[in-house]
Amino acid sequence: MTRIRISLWLASLALAACSETMTTPDPPAPPTLDAQLRQAIGPWGVVPIGAMPAQNPAQVQLGQALFFDKILSGNRDIACATCHQAQASLGDGLSLPIGTGGSGFASSRTLGPGRRFISRNAPSLLNAGLGLYQLFWDARLSRAGFETFAVDSGIVLPGMPNILAAQAMLPVLNRREMRGEPGDKDGLGNPNELAQFSDQATTEVWAAIMVRLSAISEYVTMFDAAFPGRGTSPPRFEDAARALAAFQMQAFTKTGSPFDRYLDRDDFAMTTEQKRGGLLFFGKARCSFCHNGPFLGGQSFANDGAPQIGPGGSKAAPLDLGKGELQSFESYQFAFRVAPLRNIELTAPYMHSGAYATLEAVVGHYNDVPLALRTFDPSKLAPAVRALYHGDAATISAVLATLDGRLTTPLNLTTAEMSDLVAFLKSLTDPAARNLISVVPARVPSGLPIQE
Amino acid sequence: MPGRAVWLSTLLLAWAAPAAAQLISIRTVPISQDHQFDLFPSLRMAMGGASIALGDSLLDPFMNPAKGARLRAARFFGSPGIYGVSSHAGAGRTLPLGALVKSGDWFGGMAVAAQQVDMSQTTPFFPPGPFLLCAACAGQRIDVGPNPRSHGNAYAFAMAGREFRDAGLSIGGSVSWAGLHAIDGVDLLYPASARINQHGHALDLRLGATKQWAGNRSLSALVLHNRFGTTHDVLYLDQFWDPGSQQFGQRPRSVENLDQTNTWGLHLEYQQPLRAPGWRMGWIATTNLMSHPKIPNYEIQNIPRDPGNSEAFNFGVGISKIDQASTFGIDLVYEPIWSYTWADAATPVDRTAGGTIAVGGKTIENRFRFHNAMLRMGFGQDVELSQPTKALGLQVGLMVHTINYSLAQRDNVQGTSRSLDEGWVEWTPTWGLSLRFPAWELRYRGSVTNGTGRPGVSSGDVSVASPQASGNILVAPSGPLTLAPVRVMTHQVSVSFPIR
Repeated sequence: MTRIRISLWLASLALAACSETMTTPDPPAPPTLDAQLRQAIGPWGVVPIGAMPAQNPAQVQLGQALFFDKILSGNRDIACATCHQAQASLGDGLSLPIGTGGSGFASSRTLGPGRRFISRNAPSLLNAGLGLYQLFWDARLSRAGFETFAVDSGIVLPGMPNILAAQAMLPVLNRREMRGEPGDKDGLGNPNELAQFSDQATTEVWAAIMVRLSAISEYVTMFDAAFPGRGTSPPRFEDAARALAAFQMQAFTKTGSPFDRYLDRDDFAMTTEQKRGGLLFFGKARCSFCHNGPFLGGQSFANDGAPQIGPGGSKAAPLDLGKGELQSFESYQFAFRVAPLRNIELTAPYMHSGAYATLEAVVGHYNDVPLALRTFDPSKLAPAVRALYHGDAATISAVLATLDGRLTTPLNLTTAEMSDLVAFLKSLTDPAARNLISVVPARVPSGLPIQE
Repeated sequence: MPGRAVWLSTLLLAWAAPAAAQLISIRTVPISQDHQFDLFPSLRMAMGGASIALGDSLLDPFMNPAKGARLRAARFFGSPGIYGVSSHAGAGRTLPLGALVKSGDWFGGMAVAAQQVDMSQTTPFFPPGPFLLCAACAGQRIDVGPNPRSHGNAYAFAMAGREFRDAGLSIGGSVSWAGLHAIDGVDLLYPASARINQHGHALDLRLGATKQWAGNRSLSALVLHNRFGTTHDVLYLDQFWDPGSQQFGQRPRSVENLDQTNTWGLHLEYQQPLRAPGWRMGWIATTNLMSHPKIPNYEIQNIPRDPGNSEAFNFGVGISKIDQASTFGIDLVYEPIWSYTWADAATPVDRTAGGTIAVGGKTIENRFRFHNAMLRMGFGQDVELSQPTKALGLQVGLMVHTINYSLAQRDNVQGTSRSLDEGWVEWTPTWGLSLRFPAWELRYRGSVTNGTGRPGVSSGDVSVASPQASGNILVAPSGPLTLAPVRVMTHQVSVSFPIR
């Protein structure tokens, strides 16, 4: 009996000792790469993009014609599609775009006599219709209320269904982009009636464009089909802008990238290299500090230390102060809109000044911004813009003086990490965005050539 | 329990009393569910479940139908029970009714039970609505309302057998069926879900034999086949950006998760008296071979699994002493388990190091090795009351269950391996009270299980990795999960009458 009691006691003791060791777990093993990546993505508001609803077909058809028709420009020599070319993923492949008066197409386009480059890189229109909060590099167009958008220059655009329609109202007003200078004549020798109005006469410019369009019966028919409830009132340029937006939303929304599929819970959509890059993007490389939200950017602005190239803005030419051109806060100096990143692989060159031709160069820039700015090599720029690089010590100091605080410290990424990061950026490419040639119409109602 | 990392959940359920050894449950998270399936009356559960060297004339026929031969007379019973999880993290109520009969050498029985189980996830991480449902989803008529508070389960049991007195042999067979709509704690495994609908069944077939020898020695053998299959229809409300409305919206996503396990089992029990008067000893040995055609992709786990198989064993010894009015018993059980699960490639998957894993190939392989142990001990004392035909019985006991496992995981896509060691201890004090009258018997038993946890029960100690961080954007959890400690309290009253 005693032996049995002792045995029981020993057994209990052994069990208790065993239990004691079991309550001290080993350090947890690292989660899987997918688990780490999904947790890293979590806090940044990066959510799947839903399907773009089908747009009014008549508006899409009208918008397509307008997008490719040079009749919207004062000199009838440039269309929206000139700087947003289907063949160049809706950019133009140039560091700085060439507006009215230029000739040629895509990267072979050249300045016309007496003309200057447009100050900032032409952003791709891919996914521009998703509902971005701000547009233009200086974020000068933003939502001001229900169906109302405002431009920092004071223009208020009421009754616009979305920011893309509001944006479509603006390039036709810009002299260097589409409107032209007083005294300009178009290619047929006709006077440029749009250029005669003052810069404040926006309504008159829009009305003059509509006079041109109303003179073309095919456009009249298309406007009637696209906006049938108008009655006897003539179409307005706002209708043209709506149609342009409808076309862009229908044709340029490309959100089927591997990363989008990954967000939609397909763990195998991305390669391991891309996932490692994603971990860096949302972690060590700090990209997601700015490139976050549903569009991976597009909702804030920052001085990212991009090299100053081009004719500059109006305040400190030849320098371009970006948001600082519009508002004087010190933190806005040299600050530009954070670009949304879907399909970024296809939209080179990069940054507001088109300073970098490759994603590798961009990642290299962010790896050590002060060093990259000081050692920028302008020889890699196209000859025409090389002379417009402002690499003097004063300019560099001025840019670095207001550099975003998140970029002042080097990231110290290894070569392999930078390669992974580029791989991740390439996972943002929708294969359907690689070839957009099918959106180019055979002709436009004005009969003007689509491509020179 | 706070701070304990939980990495994987494999819950294999069986409709069986928690102390029964015939079906071995595999758990990799300390979420206890045994109490839900503890339906039938028992003499020994109040004594910590010590049963290897002690007979349990109430429960034994349900565990091994051949033991129905030990019935002395036909009886009707009812054993209503309730359980509750602390922190309002779940509760259930069960009403079993049944009868066991004997006629000559034949015996049989049947029982039915109705059960109501409350959902555990009292405070959803993301309460549904109000929200903007995507326009395309509006016509789908998806019920995105909250879960009903309770769901019902139904159970049925039947057994029959025959005794061969001359040979000291009895044989019996039983069939159990459970229609399941709520398994306690399952909703906790999908913490970011908006709604879970469980449905399925369990079928348990048993064939048993008991051989009695002179000297009160006995050997029992049982072959069982258990098929468990439930479906978890899980509804999530995923946040997305709606280009149409140009704002954030939510869209419903339904995921069907199958939980299927088929088990073949062999169980042996042996008892014999010891030399000392009143003392007995016994041993048990059990083998369970399990195939898991589909293991659910629980949200709180971060290790992909799909099918798998397991080999589970237990070996136990026990001793007991029955004096005139007192009963003592103790069991020690060792439970080694090997589990192998893997994830199938649904599409061709590129390996990091080159090459491709074809459809159906294994992308991830998990090998679990369990070393579980159980201690069950208890004491009972009967007190004769003033009338000689009335007796009061008191029982107390303790059940200690240690679960300890290691996981070796191989990721065939990335070409990496990782390992994990995890363990915890569950301890359950039990108590009971019985009143025996000449014609009928009233019993009460209770228990409280400590050492288990529930994710998301209390806000203080809980850290749910992904859902908190991401606002249901990407609900697949990642990283460690901590559980809040909870206690599970059970109470059962059983009453039995003779059938005249």
